[in-house]
Amino acid sequence: MTEYTPEHIGTVTKYVFVESPTLTAGELALRAYEVSRGAMIKETCFGLQVSGEPEEVERIIAHVRSFDPCHIFVKDRAFPPGDPRRCRANLGGARPGFHGLEYEFRHLRNVSAGLEELERREEGKLEEEEREPVCIPERPRLGIRRLIELMEAEES
Amino acid sequence: MTAPVRIAQLSCGSEYSGVQKEINEAAAAVNAEIFFPDISLADIERDSALFGLEARSADLKLAIARAKALVEGRIDADAVFIGTCFRCAEAAIVRNELRRYIHENSRLPVVSYSFTERTTAGTLLTRMEALTTIARRRALLAREEQVGLTLGVDSGSSTTKSIVMRDNAIVGKGWVPTTDVLKSADEAIALALGEAGVKRSELEAIGVTGYGRFLIGEHVKADLVQEELTVNSKGAVFLADRQHGPCTVIDIGGMDNKAISVQDGIPGTFTMGGICAGASGRFLEMTAKRLGVDITELGPLAMQGMGANVPMNSYCIVFGTQSLVNALSSGCSPQDVAAAACHSVAEQVFEQQLQEIDIKEPVIMVGGTSLIEGLVYAMGTLLQTEILVPRYSQFIGAVGSSLLASGFIKGE
Amino acid sequence: MAKVFIYPTTSLILSDMVARFGHEPLGSPLGIRERIQTAGIDSPPLQITPEEPKKGLRYAAVEVPSGVRGRMAVIGPLIEHAEAAIIINDADLAFGCMGCARTNELVKYLVRRRKIPILELMYPKTEEEGIAFVAAIRRFLQELGGEKR
Repeated sequence: MTEYTPEHIGTVTKYVFVESPTLTAGELALRAYEVSRGAMIKETCFGLQVSGEPEEVERIIAHVRSFDPCHIFVKDRAFPPGDPRRCRANLGGARPGFHGLEYEFRHLRNVSAGLEELERREEGKLEEEEREPVCIPERPRLGIRRLIELMEAEES
Repeated sequence: MTAPVRIAQLSCGSEYSGVQKEINEAAAAVNAEIFFPDISLADIERDSALFGLEARSADLKLAIARAKALVEGRIDADAVFIGTCFRCAEAAIVRNELRRYIHENSRLPVVSYSFTERTTAGTLLTRMEALTTIARRRALLAREEQVGLTLGVDSGSSTTKSIVMRDNAIVGKGWVPTTDVLKSADEAIALALGEAGVKRSELEAIGVTGYGRFLIGEHVKADLVQEELTVNSKGAVFLADRQHGPCTVIDIGGMDNKAISVQDGIPGTFTMGGICAGASGRFLEMTAKRLGVDITELGPLAMQGMGANVPMNSYCIVFGTQSLVNALSSGCSPQDVAAAACHSVAEQVFEQQLQEIDIKEPVIMVGGTSLIEGLVYAMGTLLQTEILVPRYSQFIGAVGSSLLASGFIKGE
Repeated sequence: MAKVFIYPTTSLILSDMVARFGHEPLGSPLGIRERIQTAGIDSPPLQITPEEPKKGLRYAAVEVPSGVRGRMAVIGPLIEHAEAAIIINDADLAFGCMGCARTNELVKYLVRRRKIPILELMYPKTEEEGIAFVAAIRRFLQELGGEKR
């Protein structure tokens, strides 16, 4: 049994995904570099990874988010950037979580649309229109009474 | 150093069972490396649907799609390791179907294993070694004839066997119980050399296999140190004269059992293990002892009895022994008890291991237990086939080693 | 600020929504991060040692596969700490921590049993659904006392 000595204790790493028509990952990385005070910024194909002290990472994230709030998405990552345990180059293939992100990436456009719409409403450009979510899990079940009614109607 | 053998891993749960490191270590110990075939989400969606097995777990869908990428040649690998959690029904179905699919549709050697959090690199080592041997040494395994003067040693958990071969014929045998691994090996070798009438210095090559192979390999300066899955396959097809075409090799050993699906003398898929000593030769040894007969008498005794007359299930050696004692004390005949014990061991192997490989005829039984005719009969009844037990079947590992070692004779 | 458990525990969308509307998302990266930042026995890649499936016995019996118990050792404590939860019910293509359907069934059940505020949704397949999706999450989180960042 080998002993394990952790590195980067107390740091956090966040993925920043950018799905924007006006902003590229490279541009976002540049803006993050500009304000970084010691956090590690790593540009990736989908956006950035920001790693460092929690407050510093939060500050950078808040800064980059502001450039296109409806098209930038952030999530926690367990490993610091380039950790060999999760690196595609070492594993031969993507770590499994990557495909999950790939799946969610497809829905980002619709989420962005939702964020933009709500923003417009808040700015008073549109009537506030409170709607029930159309994507709640299942359709309400047919009540037993209603079912009997339907069956009787069918029979008669 | 040669390039590592690349083993593609198809799995669910290994990282969360805490055994991924053990898998990697077992591979590294035999100069292999584990990798995860790189595919996209679109591949996963398309290929898991095309495969037609509706697994609910996403990691199993991923495993299915990776298997398809390997079989269709979109991703290169030398061998495949399929691992899923023990006791997961969904994963067991996927594991078996993927193993069968890869075996039938590619030349990739594949081994499947169901792990628990207790699985160690040691447990996986022999399997990984067999995988890498098949991948790396196809030329060596293609050898069908023994040449020159060679020695083979098989250091098993119960007995140590030794064979001297000259020009494709067995000329000396040695068989001793395993006590001190090195001493037992020296004794078995001395016996075989004595019978053959040759000196150690005359030997042209030495091969060793079995649990003590690394220790003995160094001790006798062996030319070939090889796990028993490939060695026994070679030994079995050589002795049974079934070098070409398919066959199934079953070896119920003292400590664990091997079931190997062989094609042209090369293992395709195999399982190795056994949940408990109750499904091994050890249980039969205990039965013989309790019945007061020599292990060599157990087989003939069993052939005279009716196993169905005695309730026995040796899933666990402790409970199996209890059934044995109960049966004898309630007046069952030793013949019936012997038959029941043989049937029980055969049934355990059948239920636990033979489901994991494709049984193709002929079925060849090897190892010391293949001499217990009651056990062979019970296995034949379960598989509904006549089982082949070649001459010298108890020396299978030593014969295989001796045969393969001749590939190392200078000028060969 | 409330601790909001997210399902899938690896979700980018939920992680973002929860943080964006002023709360703390509880997802599996936090559990894995804690492990890789704690000294112990080396067990790459996730620093989940064979001891973890034993810790998982708290959530699932010993006859449950080790992979389920190991995953539960990571996810179970997050559920216990949660003050609210958001579940996406058609998350069939989430992998790794979320790659085992049996674990996922147990995770959702344990969340629902906690009697904390829960919002259950489906992924938005159209822009219309996207609007409803974000609106529902925002309203749910606002009711927990969060503020927009």
